[in-house]
Amino acid sequence: MSALTRQAGETPTPAVGRAQRRAGDSRGGLGRFKGYLWVLPALAFYLAFAVLPAFHTAYLSLFDWDGVTLATFVGLENYSEVFANSRYRNAVGHALLLIAFFSWLPILIGLLMVGLLSRHRRRGMTVYRVLFFLPQIVPLVAVGITWRWMYGDDGVVNQALRAVGLGGVTRAWLGDFDLALPAVGLVGTWAMSGLCMMLFLSGVQKVDTSLYEAVRLDGAGAVREFVTVTLPALRGEIAVAMTVTTVAALASFDIVYVTTGGGPGTQTTVPGLLVYRLAFSEGKVGLASAIAVVLSCLILVIVFMINRLSRTEP
Amino acid sequence: MATTRSITAAGLAAAVTAILAACTPGSDSAGADDTGSAESPDTVSTEVPDEEVTLKLAFVDGPEMVDELIAAFEEEYPQVTIDPQFTEFTDYVASIRLNMTSDTAPDIAQFNVGAMSDLIASGHLLDLDPYSEAYSWPEKFPPVGLEQLTADDSGKVYGTGSLRAVPAGMSLTGVFYNKELAAEAGIEVPPATLDEFEQALETAKEAGQTPISIGALDSGGAHMWAALLNSMMPVDDYRAWVGGEPGGSITGDDALAATEKFTAWAEQGYFNESANGTDQEASTAQFVDGQSVFLMNGNWAAAQVANEMGEDAGFFLLPGLEPDSPAVGSGFSVSYAISAQTEHPEAAAAFLDFLASEQAAEIESQGGFLPPNVDAAPAADGVLGDLNTEFARVVEADGLNVFPDFSAPATYDAMSSGVQELIAGRTEPAAFLEELQGIRDEHHAE
Repeated sequence: MSALTRQAGETPTPAVGRAQRRAGDSRGGLGRFKGYLWVLPALAFYLAFAVLPAFHTAYLSLFDWDGVTLATFVGLENYSEVFANSRYRNAVGHALLLIAFFSWLPILIGLLMVGLLSRHRRRGMTVYRVLFFLPQIVPLVAVGITWRWMYGDDGVVNQALRAVGLGGVTRAWLGDFDLALPAVGLVGTWAMSGLCMMLFLSGVQKVDTSLYEAVRLDGAGAVREFVTVTLPALRGEIAVAMTVTTVAALASFDIVYVTTGGGPGTQTTVPGLLVYRLAFSEGKVGLASAIAVVLSCLILVIVFMINRLSRTEP
Repeated sequence: MATTRSITAAGLAAAVTAILAACTPGSDSAGADDTGSAESPDTVSTEVPDEEVTLKLAFVDGPEMVDELIAAFEEEYPQVTIDPQFTEFTDYVASIRLNMTSDTAPDIAQFNVGAMSDLIASGHLLDLDPYSEAYSWPEKFPPVGLEQLTADDSGKVYGTGSLRAVPAGMSLTGVFYNKELAAEAGIEVPPATLDEFEQALETAKEAGQTPISIGALDSGGAHMWAALLNSMMPVDDYRAWVGGEPGGSITGDDALAATEKFTAWAEQGYFNESANGTDQEASTAQFVDGQSVFLMNGNWAAAQVANEMGEDAGFFLLPGLEPDSPAVGSGFSVSYAISAQTEHPEAAAAFLDFLASEQAAEIESQGGFLPPNVDAAPAADGVLGDLNTEFARVVEADGLNVFPDFSAPATYDAMSSGVQELIAGRTEPAAFLEELQGIRDEHHAE
């Protein structure tokens, strides 16, 4: 109960903050812009290296340009090609499928781990945390190279399968037309799970332990405890994790580039890979920019939806 | 609040206008001129001035080889210092165009057809014809080596026009074989015709061995397909297609027959079972491990094969249809072009000329490449000796074909993924060839 009272007691604080801010506004004049002065250095960097290039990309998408010789203005022609060509549409489809592997699976795994680890203080928590977070600090290119080797004919994955008597299903996973995309996706799962778990673990720590006590006194088991206390408390963290991992899935490039290069056939081709190829090896900078713009819009829409959904009360 | 928002909006509008007001992409790059080709003086000197100069050399292949070439060159021309700038391959291909069109372009750059052909059209590469004449390069380098580096002013049609770069070390693809396994299965190597080779694959298969390893996860599958084109498609037809001559086509009967043979070999299980999931390095590792009788790869794998298998391995060019068919193989050179913006063209040209020397040939050979000057190749035995012999045959027959992806910048990815689909039986040979033809025609129509 103490937690609830404390939460109730805290609610006025934001209101006070708002009032103060309003008072600041009313002062008007120079004071109002003082704040902007503080953000100016960061803002300048942000404008110069994030906003301007984004606008420049959008501008380039209106041209037919090889990157060297004089460009010709083509209007929205690049966009009509992006939507008309099945090669580009399929790539977007692959990226959407990767969301399941880069986002949903890691979040489920993260929640499961938190459910197991958060109930009691255990010894060696730091070790767990370091171990699970490790994939996050290894460069994705190194991750990709390692997994490419592990997925090989005589790689660790097949060795493990043979060891447990599943020699019949072994194959060169990245060369299998149906399984290459899931195989690449699982690399993402491995890389993202640690991040989700870390987010959730830190989220759980802010939950008042007396809440757990209360549900336990009410006779709830581990599952009930997780659903009634842990899960609602993690709403914000889940939204953050989903946003970050979904963006990673849709903008994926390095893992695919290093493991399969988009193959076999075009089974694992993703928009990020197409942007790179079109711009740098095929000399179609305008088309590449158009794909980048479409991809960015798609990401914005999905992220917006995630934020909206996570805000509504249960 | 309203004021803030309108200020933000105004700022945003100003920023957008500023960008839109910037001129059309490509119009402000340094050194570009609208006439297309960079003009060189008609007469040039082979004298290198005495003043001290420093040349920047951007490159991607063989850092150790380049260091040694530079050291040997600087000994001959003490007034010239060459500053090498190494970049890893994918980054090089991605950045070289920006690099060469900047105000601080390197004086000499390793040539790459896909990434740098546009630079010919934009006039950023020096036309080397005057130097070629002054130094008599046609007599110092093999014709095949120079032909591959000759292009018209659009940068799209190869084999005609002016010289754009000079070869340093050549590459060649072909078939490596395991002598012990071949003898076990009762296979006679090297085969004299393609039919004999096909027979050998069948024999190996019947003996329960994996006939040939290819690494189709990257470009190994395409090397096998290209080798079959070399064996079954007349050289002139292939070059007309890959070099961008009007009317050049890969959809004819010969190319179709070659592609169908490739698919048939895949169907009959002549390739390693997981070819599509194996890269070239892994396919080489499987071969030296004794897991296959043959291996399709290039000279870059020769050192590893020689080190690990010694006298047990050999190399031959995929044979033609008849015993007396010309020796044709796929290969290209590590080659260097000169920037049109260089202030020291004489010194840069002197470095290119040095690449034809015997001293350079020896350094290139040690670097794992085949010296363009075949007579200067140091003697070798075993698989490296085979490689030199086969390369000499190709040069003699003027039979070095560039790789198929030189037909258009977009060909490489379509070809690699198409070959994977051929292996898996997911596309028809004719459809595959039509797609490649379409990409090439679109490139030339632009």
